[in-house]
Amino acid sequence: MTAPEPQNKGTPQGEPAKIAGAALVPKVGVFVCHCGSNIAGVVDCGKVREAAEKLEGVVVAKENKYTCSDLGQAEIIKAIKEHGIERVVVASCSPRLHEPTFRKCIQQAGLNPYLLHMVNLREQCSWVHSHEKDKATEKAIDLVLMGVSKATRLEPLEAREVPVEPTSLVIGGGVAGIQAALDLANMGFKVYLVETQPSIGGKMAQLDKTFPTGDCAICILAPKMVELARNPNITLLSYADVEEVKGYIGNYDVKVRKKARYVHEDKCVGCGLCSDACPVKVDNEFDLGFGQRKAIYIPFPQAVPLKYTIDKEHCLHFKTGKCLLCVKACTNEAVDHEMEDEILTLKVGTIIVATGYETYVPMKKGVYKYWEYDNVITGLELERLINASGPTGGHLIRPSDGTTPKRIALVQCVGSRNKKIGNNYCSRVCCMYAIKNSQIIMEHEPSTEIAVYYNDIRAFGKGFEELYHRVREDYGVEFIRGRPAKLSEDPKTKNIKIRAEETLLNKITEREFDLVVLSTGLRPSEGSKRIGKILSLTTSPDGFFQEAHPKLRPVDTAMDGIYLAGCCQGPKDIPDSVAQAKAAASSAAAPMFAKKVTIEPLTAWVNEEVCQGCGLCVELCPYGSPELVPGQKGGTKAHIIEALCHGCGTCAASCPQKAIVTRQFTDDQIYCEIQAALSEHGRKQAPKKRAEAEVSG
Amino acid sequence: MVLAEAKEPNPEFTRKVVEAGGKTVNLCFQCGTCTGSCPSGRQTAFRVRKVVRRAQLGFEEDVLPSDDLWLCTTCYTCYERCPRGVEIVDIIMALRNMAVRKGYIADAHKKVAQLISKTGHLVSLRDEDKALRKKLGLQETPPTVFAHADALEQVKKIAQACGFDKLVETGGK
Repeated sequence: MTAPEPQNKGTPQGEPAKIAGAALVPKVGVFVCHCGSNIAGVVDCGKVREAAEKLEGVVVAKENKYTCSDLGQAEIIKAIKEHGIERVVVASCSPRLHEPTFRKCIQQAGLNPYLLHMVNLREQCSWVHSHEKDKATEKAIDLVLMGVSKATRLEPLEAREVPVEPTSLVIGGGVAGIQAALDLANMGFKVYLVETQPSIGGKMAQLDKTFPTGDCAICILAPKMVELARNPNITLLSYADVEEVKGYIGNYDVKVRKKARYVHEDKCVGCGLCSDACPVKVDNEFDLGFGQRKAIYIPFPQAVPLKYTIDKEHCLHFKTGKCLLCVKACTNEAVDHEMEDEILTLKVGTIIVATGYETYVPMKKGVYKYWEYDNVITGLELERLINASGPTGGHLIRPSDGTTPKRIALVQCVGSRNKKIGNNYCSRVCCMYAIKNSQIIMEHEPSTEIAVYYNDIRAFGKGFEELYHRVREDYGVEFIRGRPAKLSEDPKTKNIKIRAEETLLNKITEREFDLVVLSTGLRPSEGSKRIGKILSLTTSPDGFFQEAHPKLRPVDTAMDGIYLAGCCQGPKDIPDSVAQAKAAASSAAAPMFAKKVTIEPLTAWVNEEVCQGCGLCVELCPYGSPELVPGQKGGTKAHIIEALCHGCGTCAASCPQKAIVTRQFTDDQIYCEIQAALSEHGRKQAPKKRAEAEVSG
Repeated sequence: MVLAEAKEPNPEFTRKVVEAGGKTVNLCFQCGTCTGSCPSGRQTAFRVRKVVRRAQLGFEEDVLPSDDLWLCTTCYTCYERCPRGVEIVDIIMALRNMAVRKGYIADAHKKVAQLISKTGHLVSLRDEDKALRKKLGLQETPPTVFAHADALEQVKKIAQACGFDKLVETGGK
């Protein structure tokens, strides 16, 4: 791709570029926003406006209750037309929220949209200084001063349009990934779904029934899995990992490692003869160690694709070089121990991240003794033990002796709402899965006694509260408000005693149970962390991926063209995961339907006359944007591949020759802001005078 | 029938507790892990969760004069197990300091505190201890203020000068 003619012809330092037909200091309009009481409740906006009025270059300074409203925008347009304003400063919220709004607004009035500068008086001033009103006002004035000073040096830029590859990559094959892939495929787009496990299905495939309606999880999920595998628009890459992603919205190059499963997918018919013949038995991860599988296996009967996989770590042939019973058993010559990992290169326009969650693993030396007592299990383990297709055929037994537990305790908030271990968040599903599981247990064994140790019951979804009441009223499940303080095991019976305060009665209780189930919370998966690094995604303090805006852009990320679905963004139940997946699919579809997308022109530009071709920028750029090319007048020069440039400024900041300029963050513009910030008499000395001082000094 | 007296929370008192060292008091969500863990609560009616709750609501008159406040052994089990990171023992210490300044102190604590002014030690020297020391070949009276009357005078002076005596007797008033 060739760079368009650079619009920024200013040298990196020194004099500001002169704009044709404009005076040295262009006419600036300043619009101070109250944001209701968000800003005006702390900052004296009147004073800010007055201070702005006095600045040289400022021809109009106005206050608005909501500058982003129709009225506020109309005022900007009016001011531009009436006063011939050439640069607009909006002092309001973060540019992340309304920069696009105001760019469009000034464009409507005929100005280049990049002649706008936003001063953040909300997130960076009023919200953080709510207790120091006077100082906040002073700071706001300083910020506006800096903003005006930068605005005078802004130059028009042109946004570029790039084509969008009408193909999407979905990372993760749980219910969210499956739904997103299906929706996009049904809209007519090609989809690659990459799943690290041998089968898609994710955590939902492991669950028994779903709350609050009691639908069997796999019964409603399996048809979707099959539909996905059969959809001609979807390429399913199971047992594969995304290794590298390069590019930008519309044009991503993705490297995928397809791990060797030692069974040719095109030849395997899923008959299972190989598995029958295999002499090795190991714990089945899918059943969380309660059941067993062979070294050549499918994780569960409904697996998609129904293709066997050899677990290299346990396969006798890989250990001893012998065996090969599976090879002999296969009638289709599908098993191949010589198979190797394959690297695939995909070209996609959008990416949906649906990398899911992991359940919290109780601490090794914790109070709940998960690692010490046989009869303390987790909620997900319980799901396998009550699941009709689980290792016990759906008959709940306790691990120590295989008997049916008659007294069961469910302990809530394990690994959630716990500030000490750094998981301050609520996992949102544990209350309901515990309630749902107690219903299933009571239906199987009506004489069971179940006690739920809880702190708050969160039954907020549709039909949740009703289910909560049903298990209390119809099944007599007991709810004890108190968090267990101590668990102890009877060495003979292996029963567990729970000591806890029944906080509603203010009484300390000690009760014996046959089985204790810890309702463990959700946390970000290891796979999410890996993918997050590859895609440069940010996370919120809880470790889950951060959405672009918590209310208005809940499925977008800060990276254009990358969207979030399901629990990788935060704990959620199945309906919410599916809803978010559908939203992500629709967000990803928008640029693919449009076939082209506008890209910010805020990229780096190399001044070839100054560049010495040292190549430091090539080494430091995180996006592989600069390259070394023969210069027009000889020598080696750096050249920015604009399509890859994110405008981060690393190259410009590190260039020893100061040959690189980041548009709209030029050295000149930044020095101007700094000077305005540091200058005591800045408020009196206008930008023009300072510019003159600079030249003469 | 006695009607329960309606009470209003007093945020001013809660703020004082926070300032006095109980800065984590508002993190508590009343799960009761502390009470269930409390060795003192096994033997007595002491409910540490309730102490924290009263501090949260600012029920000063329920918490400062209460004998409960003095039943904590500061063993730190609750502190260790609390999932919210509430520094429970720090809250109790803060409340105790406030209680003493109001003139509320358990008799046993008062007596121990008085011993400092009288003897310079929290624990007095008993004849058995003297005999044991002798048996070990040590001098009968340890070389502390027990053996140095002049040093004891200094301790007493300090106790008086810093208002410790007065604090123990009257809450410093």
